[in-house]
Amino acid sequence: MAYEIILPKIGFSMNEAVFSEWLVADGGTVKEGDPLYAIESDKSTQEIESPASGTLRINAEPGTTYQVGDILGTID
Amino acid sequence: MSNYPKPDAATLVKIYEKMELIRQNDERAHKVVKAGRIIMPYYSPRGQEVIPSAISVSLTAQDYICTIYRGTHDMLAKGVPLKLLWAELAGRVTGTCKGKGGPMHITHPETGVMVTTGVVGSSMPIANGLAWASQLSGDGRVTIANFGDGAANIGAFHESLNMAALWKLPVIFVCQNNRYAEHTTFANSTAVERIGDRAASYGMPGITIDGNDPDVMYGAAKIAIDRARAGEGPTLIEAMTYRFNGHLLGDDGHYMDKEERQRAIAADPVARLRKRLIDEGALSEADAVRIETDISAQLDEAIEFALQSEYPALDEIRRDVFAHELA
Repeated sequence: MAYEIILPKIGFSMNEAVFSEWLVADGGTVKEGDPLYAIESDKSTQEIESPASGTLRINAEPGTTYQVGDILGTID
Repeated sequence: MSNYPKPDAATLVKIYEKMELIRQNDERAHKVVKAGRIIMPYYSPRGQEVIPSAISVSLTAQDYICTIYRGTHDMLAKGVPLKLLWAELAGRVTGTCKGKGGPMHITHPETGVMVTTGVVGSSMPIANGLAWASQLSGDGRVTIANFGDGAANIGAFHESLNMAALWKLPVIFVCQNNRYAEHTTFANSTAVERIGDRAASYGMPGITIDGNDPDVMYGAAKIAIDRARAGEGPTLIEAMTYRFNGHLLGDDGHYMDKEERQRAIAADPVARLRKRLIDEGALSEADAVRIETDISAQLDEAIEFALQSEYPALDEIRRDVFAHELA
């Protein structure tokens, strides 16, 4: 079953974030705990680790603003 | 401190088990929030594991603690059931407060966790009230008031210590000095070098100790708990420690001294106690791995339970606010 990559709420006032970049290419293999993507919120950039292991399917596009809870991609 | 009572090997193993639970629980909290599975403000107690673990082995299930929003270590050491804790963190109806308290207000009287407060400094007057009730009823309980170095500069600290000393309340004030009040260093907010010295102003014993040393922390807590239980009054313990992470999840702690932080993390009290127990033969490597695996399985179960549980219904919102429902 595909594991959904959800934009988390990190920080008290964060409601949305600008998606900066994927750190793994579409279709690439990811490992749980490894850096997966970067977001910019509250004027700071944060790298987020992969929540699961598997093959990455990308939805989110760099430069786009997403809301907390949006699905950025999946891991199959 | 050389005359402090020392924990025996079995007690040290118990302390370690609590510390490992706190460490793994913290790791899971980071993971679950960053995976977007739970939305909550999370204030990591990582680095402060020794303090409540070495205190709680001398407490009974009936004894009380009051803690603050950086308090999952205090709650876990006191024995809050993992499933109920996680369900409350996730705001679900199966949680300790039926999902209406959330991470900053975990309360579980059955294990003596009487309040988690988001108001800095308020654990102390609440602890006094509980301790006063114990004194009046003669139930023999002691109460631990946990707070941080920042809270020691709040008016309630001074008022509470004065009253507790005056009335000889069975309460122990535990200042977990993790060097930061949110984003402000201890040196930038406090004129005295040691919070423990302030006890002299209120006529109670006060000490400043290495809160990351399980022997010293156990000994200091044991003396204070025995003293409180014997009706001799309160003690102020300033337990020196270090907050590994920023103020809350999402704060990278860029304002923290890098070298000091690296040194503290390199001296991780959990890893240090694990190694010591193995070196001293109190624990085998296989025992340690079994403890870790058991905790990991319990956390899997607790998080799954929380995520599968329902959110509270809207008509619950006004219930449990007062002892008698207003309807």
